[in-house]
This record gives sequence, structure tokens and C-alpha cells, in this order.
Amino acid sequence: MDEALKAALSAVQKPGRYTGGEPGCVYKEKEKVSLRFAFCFPDTYEVGMSFLGMKILYEILNAREDIWCERCFMPWVDMRREMQQRGLPLYALESKDPLSEFDVIGFTLQYELSYTNILAMLDLAGLPLLCEERTDDMPIIVAGGPCACNSEPLTDFIDLFMLGEGEIQLPAVCDTIIAGRKAGLSKREILKNCAAIQGVYIPALYDVEYYEDGRVKEIRANEGAPMPIRKAIIEDMNTQPLPQNFVVPMIGAVHDRAQIEVLRGCVRGCRFCQAGFLYRPMRERDAALLSTAGKALCENTGYDEISLTSLSTSDHSDLETLLDDMLDWTQDEHVSMSLPSLRVDNFSQSLVEKISRVRKSGLTFAAEAGTQRLRDVINKNVTWEEIERTCKLAFGAGYTSVKLYFMMGLPTETMEDIEGIAETAQRIVDLYYANPDHPKGKGVQVSISVACFVPKPHTPFQFVPQDKPEVLREKQQHLLHSVKSRKISVSYHDSKTSFLEGVFAKGDRRLGKVLLEAYRRGCAFDGWEEHFLFETWMQVFEDLGVDPSFYVHRAIGLDEVTPWSHMDYGISHDYLVREYKKALDAKTTKPCNRACAGCGANQLLKGGVCFDYSKTVVHQNG
Amino acid sequence: MITARLWFTKTGEASYISLLDLQRVMQRALKRSGLPVWYTQGFNPHIYMTFSAPLALGQESLTESLDFRLAEEVNWTAACDTLNGCLPRGIRAVRVEEAKMDPSQIAAACYELSVSKEYAGKAREAFDAYNEAAQVIVVKEGKRGKKKELDLKQYAPVLDYKNKDGGLVVRLTLPAGNTFTVNPAMILTWLSENHGLESYRVQILRTGLQTAEGKAFV
Repeated sequence: MDEALKAALSAVQKPGRYTGGEPGCVYKEKEKVSLRFAFCFPDTYEVGMSFLGMKILYEILNAREDIWCERCFMPWVDMRREMQQRGLPLYALESKDPLSEFDVIGFTLQYELSYTNILAMLDLAGLPLLCEERTDDMPIIVAGGPCACNSEPLTDFIDLFMLGEGEIQLPAVCDTIIAGRKAGLSKREILKNCAAIQGVYIPALYDVEYYEDGRVKEIRANEGAPMPIRKAIIEDMNTQPLPQNFVVPMIGAVHDRAQIEVLRGCVRGCRFCQAGFLYRPMRERDAALLSTAGKALCENTGYDEISLTSLSTSDHSDLETLLDDMLDWTQDEHVSMSLPSLRVDNFSQSLVEKISRVRKSGLTFAAEAGTQRLRDVINKNVTWEEIERTCKLAFGAGYTSVKLYFMMGLPTETMEDIEGIAETAQRIVDLYYANPDHPKGKGVQVSISVACFVPKPHTPFQFVPQDKPEVLREKQQHLLHSVKSRKISVSYHDSKTSFLEGVFAKGDRRLGKVLLEAYRRGCAFDGWEEHFLFETWMQVFEDLGVDPSFYVHRAIGLDEVTPWSHMDYGISHDYLVREYKKALDAKTTKPCNRACAGCGANQLLKGGVCFDYSKTVVHQNG
Repeated sequence: MITARLWFTKTGEASYISLLDLQRVMQRALKRSGLPVWYTQGFNPHIYMTFSAPLALGQESLTESLDFRLAEEVNWTAACDTLNGCLPRGIRAVRVEEAKMDPSQIAAACYELSVSKEYAGKAREAFDAYNEAAQVIVVKEGKRGKKKELDLKQYAPVLDYKNKDGGLVVRLTLPAGNTFTVNPAMILTWLSENHGLESYRVQILRTGLQTAEGKAFV
């Protein structure tokens, strides 16, 4: 380790974030590989090391003899300052080599408010921020992840975006870059060749034309680039092995446990949920495969906790078998199991028992809205009866705390719906005391966590204007006044960060200059409240003559060309419009494994069939 | 049940992880090793582990020890090899054996403070200043935040530096253990506050643990 790095490490909190050397790290000889890939997570080590996608791609890339994938995270404020002062360029954790020596730098786009951190990381690596200023001998900058579904605000900085799932796509991009570099092609030529890979979006090959009022008039593809760009997909999840090993953080990560992805996508069709549309159709992995892989992962990492992750784990058609298989070995091996995404409506007695045999933690429900009417609008098909039934079961099994997630600012929402949030919580408190079996001498704790709804691209609510911050604040106050019991605690998100999240979620290419200027004026770590400089952002918008309200507070016409209309996630525009209209009528849509609603995602699969409807694939109530 | 003692080194990257982190790393390594490790029998079974004389963040060591329990006998050499396969590269298992002394017998630790050739001149000046001072008073924060003044000269009267490969090395033995510990970093902090020493340029390496009688802790 060189002296400057040692000096920096001696001056910062948690130096273990910056040293690498964790069990499971992959080291290679750099002279012996054809491509060096720096996988960058534009947030802290603790956040990034929790992210399953990075572990999947790290293993896939490093399984290749000719590729070495290393990790890099955004240094926290103190380390960033030390590095700047000491002239230490941003480096990858495994080799400690500066990022500028890599062939490819890849960012994962998980959250709009981490965009300034991307610029900060490129800057700290000593690389020009703008694509056009980077020469052919510099690394190619690529990005993927959910926010790539509207990559437009980042097109000034990122050379290549990957839409959809990376397991096959990312190695294909690497192959094309290896071949291009060997043949001595220019960056432009290499990128053009990559455009033939499914889901690859090269912004330089597309022109966007705007109307005078700011709306997009037309998006044109040039030089044979695909139009639209269709996301990459793994058709059969059982063909994709689960990661056998993780880099195991030595300092605690946010989610520091083994994870197995039981299914990808979601059948529910909640209209606000971007992930629910981006990852369609839902595809499961077989229970036996999952249990075996989970066991191997625990053996290889030494983790004593394993999480069954997905957007909706309890929708796995064979969940009980999976839990039985897992319980077979987890108890003997002192491994505890957690199921983070359970739904209220299929939470059965035997499921509660199986989970409580493992670990008694809090119960968490995403009810999302306070009244049945509004839950129908957003297609969160959960009824009070289901919440009641589940809570009764859980209280009977000894649970004493319930966490409820809600959103505010949903389309058609009124103050009545806000009061409904408080009422839902109150009814759960009452349920607890009405239950003769509740643990004696113990009170119940119901926590309500309320997020501000941010309309997102590729969802039926993409057309909807976001509530203005002052309206959201009013609703937050109203909620606080509506809560009468001390057994209920309320927390809510900052409406200003949600506003900026909305702007960048639905933004276009003209936001690039705003992002750059905000970064130059000191914005970074925008997702961290203590570092979020809202006034600076607003000043930048004003100085550059860009109206942020245009992107979020305006209803988007149903026939309008959106900035993301060239990005195809398999969901037809007609379907989004249909769902939007149904929402306004408070009409629900069934989960797609019960009845196909014709979203179009089946076309992503050969054969065009998402589910075998002859089998019962959804847990029945009761 | 056998109380096993793992002797290990903690150097390089691993010197930047805290005791809490080290506990996590060791717990996972023991779990991965497949050794017949004994778990506590409570509601939430876990591996029973004791670290003797924990090392401060940023310091390196050749003689760290961790006690854990085994439910049955093992081949010590094989166990050591297995553990090395489960540990990160900054932590190397040196030996696994049956614990002999109780960790409470640790009373002192030996250290090597080393300085590279490039910084030897500046460090020599600072060490001389220490050696010439009549007293070196520092404030030590004890348990429960109680502050106490200490004269470091009582524990390290001189920094007897020797030349080594053009740089310097100082060997020190300081109190360490359950009741009272003097961290060698306190000397460096004093030197940096009073004599402009850049303390990160002095590498601290722990080389041994001793009993009150000056015998090696085993």
C-alpha cells in the first residue's frame, strides 16, 4: 500500500471501506487478462456491498479467464477530501490501481439521486466527465441497472447503457470491446458494434428533437442503431446459476447476509412500481436449485443468515417446498432465514409458523395506501380483511410489532385517504388488544413509514404529475394530526429529495448540463439528507434556464413522445394507457399468473407464454 | 470440550478493520472451516469467541490470539491449514493449539515501531525530543469515559531507536491487558502534537504478548 493511501486511511473514519482484501475477493495478474472492468457503485461501500446484482456480475465476469472485474465505491466525504488533497486518484479495491488504467468502467444505476456521485467518481479518477472529451485510449464508461430505463439525463457522460438483465449481455459487451480494441478500432466504432447486442443503447447514435415548449418531438436512430432498444432478458432463470460465492465485507454492510434470488419480476402489477414493469415477466427458479445454491453459498461465505430475495418472494409457486428444503439444513447449520418481501394476502398459517421457527423479527407490510379505493387505484390488491387475518395470525404467534409502508401523493388521493393511513394503523392496534392470546404485559408497536410517491417511466403512472412539495408537506401534517395513539409512530420522507428524484427519473438530455453544473457547485451524495443541497440545485436550474417543474408537475399526454419512448421493456404503450385509465376508475387488474392482462412482456420469451395457467400457481387465501 | 487458541497475524489491509469487524470475520471463518466448533446452547446459538488484548485500528500484529471451543479433538496442524483457506489474505493463521494460559494473565505487549528510510531523519528528531523530555503527559480515556493523566515516560523511558535498512526501528514493551493498557499510538500522537511527527509514517507492529513475570503468553 503506498504512503499517500496510508496517510489518507489514517485520517478517515472506517478505513476498512477503502482497503479491499475481504474473503472472496478475486485477484488476477493484470498482464494476463484482455479486459479490466471496474464495477462502480455510486454510493458508499456499505450500501454497495449489499447489492446482489454486483455479486452476480462480479462472479460471472471473473469466471472468465480473460476478464478481471474489480470493485469501486464512492468514497465517503472524509476520504474523498483526503484523496483530493493528496492527489490520490480513485482506485479499484482489489488491485488498488487507478480507474483510469481500466478498459471499462461500469456504473450501476440504482437511484436517481446517486447521479452526482457518478460524476464525482469519474472526476476523482481523473477522467474527463463528458463522453466527447474522453479520448480513445481512455476507459469506456458503461452503465446498467433499473435507472437505465430512462438514461437520458446521463447521456452526456456515459458512452453505453445496458437495458435489462446483464448476465449474458454484459459479457457480450466485454467481448465486443476486447475484439474492437484488438483490432485497433476507435471508441466510436467499438460502440457501434456493441449496439447490435440486445438491450445496448449508445446515446451518440440517437438524435432527439424537441418542440419549442420542451416536449420531445422525435427520437431518431442513426447508423443502423436499433429502434426501439429492447431490453435483454434471461428467459429461463434455471439456466442461470446463482452466485456460489460472495465477497464478504469485513466491516458491516447494510445487508450483510447470503442472498438467493428466488424469482425475478413480479406478477402483481402494482401501478406505481417501476421494478414490477421493468422485470416482466415473472420467472421463478426451482425450489431444489435454490436450496442447494443457498447451502453452498453459506458454506463458501460462512454467513449465518440467508435471505430469500425477490420483488415478491411469497409469490413463488412452490414456496412451502422451498422453505421445507431450506429448513432441512439451515437449522442444523445455525443459519437463520429471512424473507424480506412478503405480501399480506398470501401469508398463510403454515408460512407464519415456518418463519417464526426461524427468527422472530418484526412484521412488515407494504399496504401502500390507506383506503380500499386508493389501493384499487394503484392495484395493490390488498384488502383490510387480509391485513386483519395476517395480523391476527401474527399476534397469535407472538409478534408485537408491525411496520407498515405507505405512500402519499398517489394519483386521485384525497385527505380522506391520508386519514385512512392513520385508521389502518389504529385498527391494527385495536386488533392486538382484542386478541386474547397477545403476549401478556407487552404492548404493540405499529410504525408507519410514508414515502412520497414519485411517478416513474414505464409505469401506468408515468403520465401523472407528481404532488408539489408543499402539498406533500400538508398531507404529512394532516397524517400527524390524524394519529391518536402513542402505540403508533410515523416517519416520512423528505419531499424535496422526492421532487429531484422525479425530475431525473422523467428527465431528458437537457438535464445533463444541470447535473454537471450542480456537481461543480458541490452537489454529491444527494440521497443523504445531510448532504442534499436543495437550494443549490434550484439555483442551478434557474441559472441554466431549465424548469424542473416541467418534468414532474405536468401531466404527460397519453400520445406524447416521452424521453424514454425509444426504450422497450416489453410493455406496450397501449397497455400502460389502459392501466392508467383503469386506475382512474379504481378498477383492479389481476396478478398475471391468474389472468393475462396483455402487457406484451410475453413477447420477450420464445413461445410467448409466461405461465402455465392449467397449474395453480398463486397461493389461495386462507 | 477443548479451549482452542488460534494464533494469527493481522497485517496490511486487515490492519484497518476493527475488533467488531474481526469478530465477524473470525466467526465466518470458523463456520466455513467445518471444524467441530462449539456453539453456545442458548436460544440464539453462536460461536463462543474471546480475543485476548485487542489490537488498535491501523496497527499490525504477528501475535494475535483468539480462543474458541471445540466439541471434539482435532488435528491442530490440519485445523490451522483449513482456517488459512477461510481467512482473508491480511489475516494468516500461524498455529492452532490447546490454550494454556488464561488471557487474564496478559500484562504487557511488545511492539516494533518502524520508520522508512525517507522519513528517518524527521522521525529521529522527534524521538530525540521524546527522549529529552522530562515528562510526557498525555490524557488517557479510560472505561466509562473517565479521563486520566499519564506520564508515558513511566512506561517507555526512552525510544531506543536502531538503524534498520536505512530506516529506524524502536522496540518497546508496554502494559497491556484487562486492567491497564498503554497504546503505543499515544506516544505517536504526543509526538505529532508537540513535535510535528506525521504519525502515519510510523508503522506499529505487535510482536509478542507477555505475563506480569515477563514470560511469553502462550
